[in-house]
Amino acid sequence: MTYFVTDGSADCFYTAVFDAYRQKDAVITSESNLQTQLDSQICEVVADGEKCERVKRKLRQLDAGAAGDVELVLRSCNPLRENTAFEYIRLIIEHGGPVRNMLAHPVVLEISDIRKKVTGEIHKLKGFLRFMENTEGVLYAPCSPDNDIVDLLAPHFAERFKNQRFVIHDITRKTAAMYDGREILVTFADSAEIYLSEYEKYFEDLWKQYYKSVNIASRPHEKQMKGYMPVRYWKFLPEKQR
Amino acid sequence: MIDADRLKILTESAKYDVSCSSSGSKRVNAKGGLGNASVGGICHSFTPDGRCISLLKILMSNDCIYDCEYCPNRRSADVPRAAITPDEICQLVISFYKRNYIEGLFLSSAVCGSPNATMEALTETIVRLRKVYNFNGYIHLKGIPYADDALIMRAAKYADRMSFNIELPSEKSLKLLAPQKTKEGLLLPMKKLSAATEYDRQNKIKSGRVIPAGQTTQLIVGASPESDGQILRLTQALYRNLGLKRVYYSSYIPVVASPKLPTEGAGLLREHRLYQADWLLRFYGFDVDELCGEGDNLDADCDPKCAWAMRNMHLFPVEVNTAPAEMLLRVPGIGARGAYRIIKARKYTRLDFDNLLKMRIIIRRAKHFITCNGKFYGAQSQGAVRAALMLESHADDAEQLSMFSSPDIAASAITGEI
Repeated sequence: MTYFVTDGSADCFYTAVFDAYRQKDAVITSESNLQTQLDSQICEVVADGEKCERVKRKLRQLDAGAAGDVELVLRSCNPLRENTAFEYIRLIIEHGGPVRNMLAHPVVLEISDIRKKVTGEIHKLKGFLRFMENTEGVLYAPCSPDNDIVDLLAPHFAERFKNQRFVIHDITRKTAAMYDGREILVTFADSAEIYLSEYEKYFEDLWKQYYKSVNIASRPHEKQMKGYMPVRYWKFLPEKQR
Repeated sequence: MIDADRLKILTESAKYDVSCSSSGSKRVNAKGGLGNASVGGICHSFTPDGRCISLLKILMSNDCIYDCEYCPNRRSADVPRAAITPDEICQLVISFYKRNYIEGLFLSSAVCGSPNATMEALTETIVRLRKVYNFNGYIHLKGIPYADDALIMRAAKYADRMSFNIELPSEKSLKLLAPQKTKEGLLLPMKKLSAATEYDRQNKIKSGRVIPAGQTTQLIVGASPESDGQILRLTQALYRNLGLKRVYYSSYIPVVASPKLPTEGAGLLREHRLYQADWLLRFYGFDVDELCGEGDNLDADCDPKCAWAMRNMHLFPVEVNTAPAEMLLRVPGIGARGAYRIIKARKYTRLDFDNLLKMRIIIRRAKHFITCNGKFYGAQSQGAVRAALMLESHADDAEQLSMFSSPDIAASAITGEI
């Protein structure tokens, strides 16, 4: 077994696909999830622009939508994401075209599931993200999503807010998507010091009052609430704080 | 700015309106504006009763001139009254929207003064929200029956969705429980709106369409004696003739004591079955005549699709590798997504039971109605199929009911995504 270890970036992944493609027992993984066996070889991959481009070009020729699938799958928190994406690319090349609809194939089904989890979380956070306004009128939303998605969330809010500046901060991955009213910038962001506007508490309290009043207390259905809104997202929801 | 006390009164008065969906509109943001609409709708929170919060659901006033028997805000009720000004609503919407608490506004009102005065106040509020506050998020506006057409049509230009509630499924029940309303009076504005959206559609009008997310309505189930068959015929007519997007069913809850009203709630199960049948009408190509006789109620023991399949065993089993899409959709245990997956996958390979299992088809239900490569794994006799499905259906429904502390007054939750 040969393990091709990437740095987690897409470019490094495509380079690894190039290097590993002709090997029989190749596995692609990113460092953080590495678990090797005794007899395995480890091969550290360094991103190579040309190799990466060749794989991407080949993929584009065979299936214009495949790069999009891979991009989403690489954002997943699934520890086997790189290798599943690798098997998916292999399948596309062997088949000579899109395999998206071969839903009886385990790799295609797995890709479809991982992809759905990532896009599903993007959709969820479009609802569950909570902004607070600072003294300069900038909106700030902390979050810790399962998958690496803050930059995919930002365009949705940029479209809504137009001139309004905002920051979406993934506090576990320490990345932030920042929007200055014109464009989105993704950067490293360790911690943030926020000076809230004087109105913030007032609106937060009104929202909590609303949340309490709109509930029909005589028919509790906590299981359904938690099913639609998993507890791990509650940390950043003012209405779920005491 | 509104205070917490009034917000409480006006929200608590609005919360029995079931609809909270924010879907169906593609409204785009304007330069310098705030907000847009997401066509699939977005849920922003969920309350402990399991329902979603998508829109800020609020009444402009709960001070009503009508005296509808079932309504907690009826004229003769002794409840605290409150009102909110258009500017207060606009500011609340903007500040909630900016914090991503909500997807938009669901504005309604008790009939305060006269239908025209009420409709005008509602309309002016949303016009103000659109024009002065430059808000382009989702707006669902409740229509006030008996208001002038011109007012209703003006509102329709600014709202994404409007709804007039039918309230009760027959003229007779309206006369008894909501004497100031008539069926024709409630249906007339719906017909007008339907004609206006149809005009936009036929003339391919792209921008400035009236209510791009269409109309919905709501009716109370179990406050009056109509059968499921009658209710579903009304529903089908509303979908087919008026092009409604949704009909909501609200299981009757005895919030108000009255000799004209039943003392017990209609229960979750009946409402649940009506929603299942409603889905079959809209997405599965069923006609109401296939589901339920006019004077009958839906089978409480199993869902309407299973019930239909068991009445039509001569059509089954079907071979999953060759059956047409519309037949796959009629197999219990195969939903719209499952049918889609089967149709895609079978182009590449012959499917067996193991494939179906991995594609998340509910095999334990579907196996009685399908063959895979000619193999059949279902029960042999019709009686055995019935027994197996009943057993399973009971397990499902028991689970659903137990989620509520008191099944009598339970009503199912409607998510904003639908």
